[in-house]
Amino acid sequence: MLTREAPITVTIVEGALGALGAPPRRPDDPGCGAWVVFEGVVREDEGGKAVEALDYTAYQPMAEDQLMLIARDVMRDHGLSYLMVEHSRGVVPVGGCSFRLSIASGHRKEALAAMDEFIDRMKRDVPIWKQPVWRM
Amino acid sequence: MRVEVKLFGAEAHAVGADSVVVDLDALATCGDLRDAMRAVAPALASSLGWARFAVNGRYADDSTPIGEGDELALIGLVSGG
Repeated sequence: MLTREAPITVTIVEGALGALGAPPRRPDDPGCGAWVVFEGVVREDEGGKAVEALDYTAYQPMAEDQLMLIARDVMRDHGLSYLMVEHSRGVVPVGGCSFRLSIASGHRKEALAAMDEFIDRMKRDVPIWKQPVWRM
Repeated sequence: MRVEVKLFGAEAHAVGADSVVVDLDALATCGDLRDAMRAVAPALASSLGWARFAVNGRYADDSTPIGEGDELALIGLVSGG
């Protein structure tokens, strides 16, 4: 029996997202030929300086509302089937995942285009800020 | 009316606080708030040239009216992801 997922989910969680290599389960939908997952991971340097972690601040609930607004737009404009976005707040250590966008669609091209557009708009409009925690 | 404007990121760092308090006339708009903030928080002068305001969690333009009790925030460059 086909399991229908919520078409859009938006989550902001404290600290790093779930274990690397354990992204959300792919929607069980035979109409989806593409499942694209992007993970943003904290790098060990910022402008040549050693970083221990990134400390994220989110203005909530506006951050969730903006993520949902962008999700609805890209779902509609690219004809996607499912979109899941997760973002961290608080401290995420080097190597931790702070952002994950998972998209399912009928074909590859619309999923990849939507991925790019979503991230560009997020970096412009979603009130989340990051502050490096420098390594001493 | 007296309003509090939330600050984040570089703007909070520039002022050394996570909000500023501003006195506005009744029927003020976000444009009036922008002008008033220049006077009370000169450290924000450059940001106030382009940063956006949010009123009750939504981006607003300078013609958006401000009412008593509205939640106000100055949104500078964001850096999620």
